[in-house]
Amino acid sequence: MRTADLELAARCRAGDADAFEELYRLHVRRLYSLAVRMIGSADEAEDVLQEVFLQAHRKLAGFRGESTLGTWLYRLTMNHCLDHLRGRQAKISRATGSLDEEGAVEPVAPTPVVPSAISRMDLERAIDLLPPGSKAAFLLHDVEGFEHREIAEILGVSEGTSKSQVHKARMKLRMLLSR
Amino acid sequence: MCETYDDLIDDYIDGTRAADHPGDARRAAFESHLAGCTRCQAVVEDFTSIRRMASALEEHVPPPRLWAKIAGTIEEKPRRISAWIPIAAAASLALAIAGSTWLAWMKSPADTLRQVTATVEEPSEAPAETQYEQAIAGLQQLADARNASLDPNTRAVLQRNLAAVDRAIDESRAALSDEPASAFAQESLFDALDTKIALLQDTVALTAEDVNQ
Repeated sequence: MRTADLELAARCRAGDADAFEELYRLHVRRLYSLAVRMIGSADEAEDVLQEVFLQAHRKLAGFRGESTLGTWLYRLTMNHCLDHLRGRQAKISRATGSLDEEGAVEPVAPTPVVPSAISRMDLERAIDLLPPGSKAAFLLHDVEGFEHREIAEILGVSEGTSKSQVHKARMKLRMLLSR
Repeated sequence: MCETYDDLIDDYIDGTRAADHPGDARRAAFESHLAGCTRCQAVVEDFTSIRRMASALEEHVPPPRLWAKIAGTIEEKPRRISAWIPIAAAASLALAIAGSTWLAWMKSPADTLRQVTATVEEPSEAPAETQYEQAIAGLQQLADARNASLDPNTRAVLQRNLAAVDRAIDESRAALSDEPASAFAQESLFDALDTKIALLQDTVALTAEDVNQ
């Protein structure tokens, strides 16, 4: 896997246009899905992904194989998404929370409150209401299937922070889905 | 207090159980607590539902125009591709692949390889290019003898990289032939020869790894 990544990166650095398209095709669907859910807008996610791949094209010279190409691209994507959300927040002061926001402790109900039949749209809408920090960790862990160790690398936080953010997200979703 | 077990609830949902951590009294205490606590059972049930639904969410499909926009922007800023970029890429790739194996190789009884590479390090009366050629010939012989043991994909990459280096060596020799006094052309030739030696060393190191496994 690592050898294949290094080979693909080397071909891209050498100016092989087919190699860069191969890199794009390999990763774009998962990265685009992540960006749509992080940002909550397909149009804006498209703009962000365009920037991500252009930056990847410029920065491939810096890829040394310490992580997989996929993890490296997830890191670029998440950085762009969080920057985009910060910019949006500054412009419209929407209550999206902040990366360091301490989520309010939700009351713990004594019986299950999440209905057994929830539509995909219900969950997508609830995820969209999460603060960026816990949304990022939740999407990477529960949707994309990354381990906390990998999320820590992608988000540049500790494993403990990743676990804490996923917990906050699940608690918030539990509350939102019970309404 | 249920809240003191919040972090363990998530571990529990994610599949980490007390049985996996013998001696972890807190985790064992949580699982005992869970058996009799309806509040924690409710959280576990809800978190499990949320996780199951989240993992089943469908992918969003990017519009085809996205690649067209990216490719168009990249083509607007064409990179100046010199003959040395593929060489640098090849060298960095090969060095990265071999990085973890090279030290192990050097610790193994690789006297032949050391003797071969030493020919470019030891003082000699022979012209520099001749020393390079001798070292390359020795390494090439080793690499050819063991090439078949390499993974086919890795072998293909290394062969492509060596072909790129050979082209650069030919170009440098042609430039030096046109301008024999050019220090730049001479330096370029030695750089290309150095790169070829590094690639062959990496090839031999990779074959050694396969042999040792």
